Amino acid sequence: MAKHGVAIGGISVIIAIVLIFFYLLLVVFPLFEPAEAEQVGQFDRPGGAGHTLHMAMEEQAEIGVRFSDDGRATFFETTTGQLVDDQALSLPSSTSITSFAIGEPLDARVGYGLSDGSAVVVRPVYKESYPNDVRVITPVITYPLGEEPLPIDEAGQALVKLAVQDGEEEATVVAVTADGRLLLTYFAKEADMFDEEAVSLERSQVEIPHDGGPVDFLLLDKDQRNLYLASANGSLIHYDVTDKEEPQLLQRLNVIDPETRRRLTSLTFLTGDISLLVGDSSGRIVQWFGVRDERGNKRLRAIRSFDEQQRPIRAIAPEYSRKGFLAADESGRVDIYHTTAERLLLSLQLSDHALSSLAIAPRANAMLAEDTSGRLHFWRIHNEHPEISWSSLWGKVWYESYDAPSYAWQSSSASNDFEPKLSLTPLLFGTIKAAFYAMLLAVPLAILGAVYTAYFMSPSLRSMVKPSIETMEALPTVILGFLAGLWLAPMIELYLPGIFSMLLIMPVGILLFAFLWNHAPRVVRHSVPDGWSAALLVPVVLLLGWLSMSLSMPLETAFFAGDMRHWLTHEMGIDFDQRNSIVVGLAMGFAVIPTIFSITEDAIFSVPKHLTFGSLALGATPWQTLTRVIILTASPGIFSAVMIGAGRAVGETMIVLMATGNTPVMDFSIFQGMRTLSANIAVEMPEAEVASTHYRVLFLAALVLFLFTFVFNTLAELVRQRLRRKYSSL
Amino acid sequence: MSSNETATHGIDIESLTRPRAQRRLSDEEASMEVKDLNLFYGQKQALHGINMLIPKQRVTAFIGPSGCGKSTLLRCLNRMNDLVDGTRIDGQVLLDGHDIYDKSVNVADLRRRVGMVFQKPNPFPKSIYENVAYGLRLQGVRDRHRIDQVVEKALKGAALWDEVKDRLQESALGLSGGQQQRLVIARAIAIEPEVLLLDEPASALDPISTLKIEELISELKDKYTIVIVTHNMQQAARVSDYTAFMYLGKLIEYDDTNRLFTNPREKQTEDYITGRYG
Repeated sequence: MAKHGVAIGGISVIIAIVLIFFYLLLVVFPLFEPAEAEQVGQFDRPGGAGHTLHMAMEEQAEIGVRFSDDGRATFFETTTGQLVDDQALSLPSSTSITSFAIGEPLDARVGYGLSDGSAVVVRPVYKESYPNDVRVITPVITYPLGEEPLPIDEAGQALVKLAVQDGEEEATVVAVTADGRLLLTYFAKEADMFDEEAVSLERSQVEIPHDGGPVDFLLLDKDQRNLYLASANGSLIHYDVTDKEEPQLLQRLNVIDPETRRRLTSLTFLTGDISLLVGDSSGRIVQWFGVRDERGNKRLRAIRSFDEQQRPIRAIAPEYSRKGFLAADESGRVDIYHTTAERLLLSLQLSDHALSSLAIAPRANAMLAEDTSGRLHFWRIHNEHPEISWSSLWGKVWYESYDAPSYAWQSSSASNDFEPKLSLTPLLFGTIKAAFYAMLLAVPLAILGAVYTAYFMSPSLRSMVKPSIETMEALPTVILGFLAGLWLAPMIELYLPGIFSMLLIMPVGILLFAFLWNHAPRVVRHSVPDGWSAALLVPVVLLLGWLSMSLSMPLETAFFAGDMRHWLTHEMGIDFDQRNSIVVGLAMGFAVIPTIFSITEDAIFSVPKHLTFGSLALGATPWQTLTRVIILTASPGIFSAVMIGAGRAVGETMIVLMATGNTPVMDFSIFQGMRTLSANIAVEMPEAEVASTHYRVLFLAALVLFLFTFVFNTLAELVRQRLRRKYSSL
Repeated sequence: MSSNETATHGIDIESLTRPRAQRRLSDEEASMEVKDLNLFYGQKQALHGINMLIPKQRVTAFIGPSGCGKSTLLRCLNRMNDLVDGTRIDGQVLLDGHDIYDKSVNVADLRRRVGMVFQKPNPFPKSIYENVAYGLRLQGVRDRHRIDQVVEKALKGAALWDEVKDRLQESALGLSGGQQQRLVIARAIAIEPEVLLLDEPASALDPISTLKIEELISELKDKYTIVIVTHNMQQAARVSDYTAFMYLGKLIEYDDTNRLFTNPREKQTEDYITGRYG
């Protein structure tokens, strides 16, 4: 009966663990699912015969819009191609469209450059209404900068290239005229005091000096600060236009090696407008962004390239909110990529004809492409977690605006353009670091204490010491963490030299006392019963501790110019966090000591007495017996004690949560904090959106922690079994 | 254990009638001498006024019923009783004329001179070689060649060499009980003690192993003074030259083994050896 009870209990525990494991796996699995796509519709180009300049979709990807070079905006159902609305833009009748510009995709603004030197900015708006509880989307064309064309070139030359950005408070139009001038026109918006809708524009213009070389691509970022000009041969010019009166030339470079004779065929921003995506005639796509050089100047640099496609890239469509993009080439193929994960997620053959235009839905769940035969292809895409790859989880990743590849964990921020940085490496590193410093304190203290208690201490003293240390284990770690964070951390900061001098004063002082005690007159020594002499150390330890602390200030004045923390930072160049590894080492070490102590003590105490007697009878001193027989025989137990302690240190949450500062840095310095896997889960899980990438990566972190402890404990058990076979006594 | 004990309570007359050199205790040279020894465990007195002489290079057996103090007396001879809490001793135990309970005596040195083998084989969880070398290593001997020689000599001396010479580096825990006990004896004689104390060395062993241990004891007495505690009177009769009968913490009779078994002076001795109690 009892046997069955135990068996059922044991099996249920195993089943529970396996279930937890599979639940974690279940949540994590979608991260590694490949992207999928299916074709939903294919139809002839809706609307007039004009060539497509640009296509876009509304939020739900139900209605698409096609801007064509005959000045029409055609709205159609994306699945069937059925016409919803076809509007002619309000352009002056005597002019023709000579250039076209796409603004920030999320704002959905597009600009037209006209043959009379003026420009129009257009924005499609999708109005939703619910007549009879059915959602109806009504597209409307609006003119955010007024229906009247904006005069750009006073000389009235046609605008052959155009870039437009329209923000809350300002708008910028950059244009290349037919005679090769580069004009920057700036509009400051001033809201009418009485009517918020009515906005008056204050116009200013500057001609940017330009050598008149060919400009095939003109890009202005959404902050209206960086302007890029590029020609088809791959030469690129970068201007800083932050100061609209005085634009600065920053850099000239070739984004394509002139010797390869490749042509620049496509140039767009990645979302956020920090990176440029350069597609060329060989099918290669290269990501460029500014990196600070030795002199501190930001210079464009090729960061990573994608060489999957073999034919000239005709269109690149960046995702609206993630660092992924779609690229269409001349063979009718579309590839889906993610930049920081450095992954090709999916490759699709859409058509036998070359693709000329490509659009992605705002939620990145659909795409629309037009081929040169005039057919439109609408596909649904399932691509939930493109940013996760082995390299982005564990490797160094070169994120935008970073000066070098790095391991980074930064899961959220205030900005929408922000890219979550989900490297688990700093967390794993922090976990190991915290465990290491805790074990550094706990292992020697706990094992030496256990050896003394089990082997030298009198039974009556032992019967008091052992339970009190074991009671320490029951102390809630939240209290330890709280004390460590709020009391110990400032204390250590204040008495830093004292803490370090304690490392020297404590062992030396204790040894000195032991030496004096052994040479004390016999009368004094015999006044303490055998095995009780350890109790004498209590006042000694307190005294030495007090001595170290009171030495702190004089030491600080004498050697560290009055402030060791300041001295460390400025003289040694060592950063100092208040909640650092010393605090964690002490607090978590304190929490781990009882575990290690208790198991080690049991292991040593249970070494058979006949082995001790056998050794003593051969003329061994107690110390020789301890080091040569007892420790050896107890080694399997001591080993498991250390391993169980390490397992506890790795999984411990509350102490590291409250005492580490939770900064995910990769620095082994004892003066720096860390963020551990467990604390990270505790901090971020409540805020993570269910089923988001962040949520699943947190589950992955839990799985890693689970596997880590599992593998660790299994290895420990194997080693322990080996040791036991070798050293277990009769 | 109990069947073994009852089966051997009668005296094997054959072993006693074997011709044996006539010796007198008073003619022997003393290796150790116990003088007016009293031992207390807390309030309880376990040994009462023991006086005896342990003759050199002879086998002396302590017999008596369980709890009579024979093992306690044995442990007094190398101060193993020090390890039991609350033990108090008065009187003297002399080794070569010097009191081993003197304050100046180094206990570890004493135990090196007076080795001990316990009832239960207690090899260390080390190799056979390291078990035998243990005592030498304690003394800081590092000379590999010398240790090799001593190990071989000790194992030969304990009649174990032929059985283990090919597996010296294997764990001692893989040996049989009898082999382990002989290994422990080898370990004890490797440091060449003057006196070897055997505390019921064969009581946990099978008859064949017991026989081997007994043969070994007979061989060892040429070099060592041996004191053996045994429950088994046949064994005492077979291996010892002198036998001490103890009862309730007192030394009742101590004499030449032949005489003690054939012609005991004391009634209590006779009752014990004829199996009336014990």
